[in-house]
Amino acid sequence: MAEADREIIKPEMMKSYIWLQTSDGSIQQVELEVAMFCPMICKEIHSGMGSSKNYPISLPSRVNPAILSLILDYCRFHQIPGRSNKEMKSFDEKFIRMDTKRLCELTSAADSLKLKPLVDLTSRALARMIEGKTPEEIRDIFHLPDDLTEEEKLEPIKNTIDDPRIRLLNRLYARKRKELKERERLKNVDVEEEHVDDRSVEDLLSFINGRNSDSKGVKTSKNKRKNRTRKDPQRNTSSNSTSSTNVVNVDKEFNGLDLTYHDPSTCDHILSNLGKTLKLLNIEDSFPPDDGFDGDDLDDDIDPAMKEKIDREVEDFARRLNSHWPERMQEILSLGQERRRLPTAFNCNGSFRTYARLDQQQK
Amino acid sequence: MSSMKQWEPPKVPCKSEMEVDNITNLPEHVIDKILSHLSLRDAVRTSVLSSKWRYKWNTLPHLVFDNQSVLVSSQDQTLVKNKLVHIVDHVLLLHSGPIQKFKLSHRDLQGVSDIDKWILFLSRGALKEFVLEIWKGHRYKLPSSIYFCQNLIHLELFNCLLRPPATFAGFKNLKSIDLQHITMDQNAFEYLISSCPLLERLTLMNFDGFTNLNIHAPNLLFFDIGGVFANVNFQDTFQLAVVSIGLYSNMGFDRNLPFGSASNLIKFFGHLPRIQRLEVQSYFLKYLTAGKVPRRLPTPCIELSFLSLRINFSDLDESLAALCLLRSSPNLHELEMLARPEEQNAARVSANIVEEGYENCPFNQLRFVKIAGISGLRQELNFIKFLLANSPVLEKMTVKPSSTDGGWELLKELMKELLRFCRASVQAQIIYLDP
Repeated sequence: MAEADREIIKPEMMKSYIWLQTSDGSIQQVELEVAMFCPMICKEIHSGMGSSKNYPISLPSRVNPAILSLILDYCRFHQIPGRSNKEMKSFDEKFIRMDTKRLCELTSAADSLKLKPLVDLTSRALARMIEGKTPEEIRDIFHLPDDLTEEEKLEPIKNTIDDPRIRLLNRLYARKRKELKERERLKNVDVEEEHVDDRSVEDLLSFINGRNSDSKGVKTSKNKRKNRTRKDPQRNTSSNSTSSTNVVNVDKEFNGLDLTYHDPSTCDHILSNLGKTLKLLNIEDSFPPDDGFDGDDLDDDIDPAMKEKIDREVEDFARRLNSHWPERMQEILSLGQERRRLPTAFNCNGSFRTYARLDQQQK
Repeated sequence: MSSMKQWEPPKVPCKSEMEVDNITNLPEHVIDKILSHLSLRDAVRTSVLSSKWRYKWNTLPHLVFDNQSVLVSSQDQTLVKNKLVHIVDHVLLLHSGPIQKFKLSHRDLQGVSDIDKWILFLSRGALKEFVLEIWKGHRYKLPSSIYFCQNLIHLELFNCLLRPPATFAGFKNLKSIDLQHITMDQNAFEYLISSCPLLERLTLMNFDGFTNLNIHAPNLLFFDIGGVFANVNFQDTFQLAVVSIGLYSNMGFDRNLPFGSASNLIKFFGHLPRIQRLEVQSYFLKYLTAGKVPRRLPTPCIELSFLSLRINFSDLDESLAALCLLRSSPNLHELEMLARPEEQNAARVSANIVEEGYENCPFNQLRFVKIAGISGLRQELNFIKFLLANSPVLEKMTVKPSSTDGGWELLKELMKELLRFCRASVQAQIIYLDP
């Protein structure tokens, strides 16, 4: 045995071989110079291992036979002295073309063998795969589980937003989240068994238009609730008008409005923000620097489904604000005035009673 | 109580081979390596990938804050600066593990006082490389905490003011220092260089506060200087192999040395026995002509293989100095002579160097010559003739005249002469490049 060892280490020997054993137990023979390129194997050889089939060098568990052959290809090429930089570069580029799974395994194996140049090469290749991609794409490539909660994803890590619009919208999203939380709370406080309406505006519209009678009932109770909290008298005029047809028509219009602002406290809030948002979208970014990281500096990549939903709602709000609100205002104002005059002209009984009731409700 | 059912693996593989996550469980230093090839921005963004990736970026050993890694686009500079400060604060706070390299070089970063506190924070760790570039504004005065980073190996500063405290004892591990646009005291500079025993590379560009370059660095290998100085003294730089010196001003150095003192040429090369590459830029050749220019140096520069000279061919002294150098470099492999665009009637535009000045002086290793910026003057042609006649293994000579407006006649003459010159080397190519 000792003699064999000495023979292997003699530099004059041409093709000496050493024995390597991989994690699955299989043993193979490899040329000495090629294997010596790996520092870890080199160390083992110098301590006397690997010279015969009975004493193979056992490689770390991360090295399986397929990967070992790849590594040996790499070593075989690079251990020949006198390779030009260009040659080595082009070899490396071709060598690195493989699927991600194999690339990761190769990285791991090269690291366990302490083969630094190969680890550098593979990590650079993996970095190129990560560079510039969205998290979804990266998760897809590497099969990473998407197990962060929405909260955690939205938690800003650092400010990577470079578009003022996105930053503003993110603020809106943050406030929206707060709104949602508040609604949860309000819902719990509310004695009446009533579901918090978080349907989109379109859904609500179709709901009204489709099933008028039912909605009226629902609306009444909703409106009653609103009466308690809302202070705006004009809106109250619509709330209890359910019986007469005239008022019903008026009702419909008002209800359209109502639905838009069915959660008054937060709606006001959202509206004012929207107003601000829309104004600010047109001017240079002028936010005070330390707005904190709470809703401000969100990462670009919010969950797309939620983003779409919020987008739609925001757009609806914006549209209503911009186009409908002024006209609505006019309508409300004019109608309100007319109604006060009307009781004397119309059928006194029904309408008068109705209006009287309306007047009573006006607080 | 039912009997224990034998658990059977599902018939359909629940996860095909292709869907296994191989990357997350790579060892930490490998992940660090992968992330270090990304910009800081991309690296931090990996924290949203999955719960295991949330804090993987925290152990990045190299932190680079520059225009690419931090994308904050806005016209308002104050806003950008504030955002940058936020980001650095945030990253440093979340970071865990050693920070080995820290680079801060953002266009909109001026000398904010936050840099002081960051440097203090870094100096408490094992910082090895520190790069700070202040793109605009006044020279930023470095806090004293930087001078106590004993693990520092590389220091790079741009637009800074260095004033080491009295208790500064040098950087015991510093190997490379790069100072550009800095202000420093004469004594402080000398002390800085001499108190870094391992110093191998020194780059110094555009400095003020000192004019004497007394370099006392026994391990110095690379020396690159460009600025205005009065004299340069190498004291014990016997390993110095690569030198590039540019003296940006024609004034300021003493042309007339006291009688009997050695010329600057001799002084300069006296301490550079191992020099391999030398670039003499701007007016430095003029500086070398101070004192009496010898015919050749006392000890030839046997290792000198690359020489680049910025020369005013009309100046007699400079031509003599160039000849002296050439005569003392028997193993020269590559030569560049770049004409300094200057008034023709400067200095001693006396008669050309007597023919004997160009006597045989074989350049047995010279293979490549590059001549640029010439305009066809007699002196220039003499040099070219001299080189061609003495280079038996010359392979290529490129000649590129300076762009002259209307000097075609002169250039035509030049080309005619070039054709006529004898060449010692049979395979010499003379390539004429358009101006």
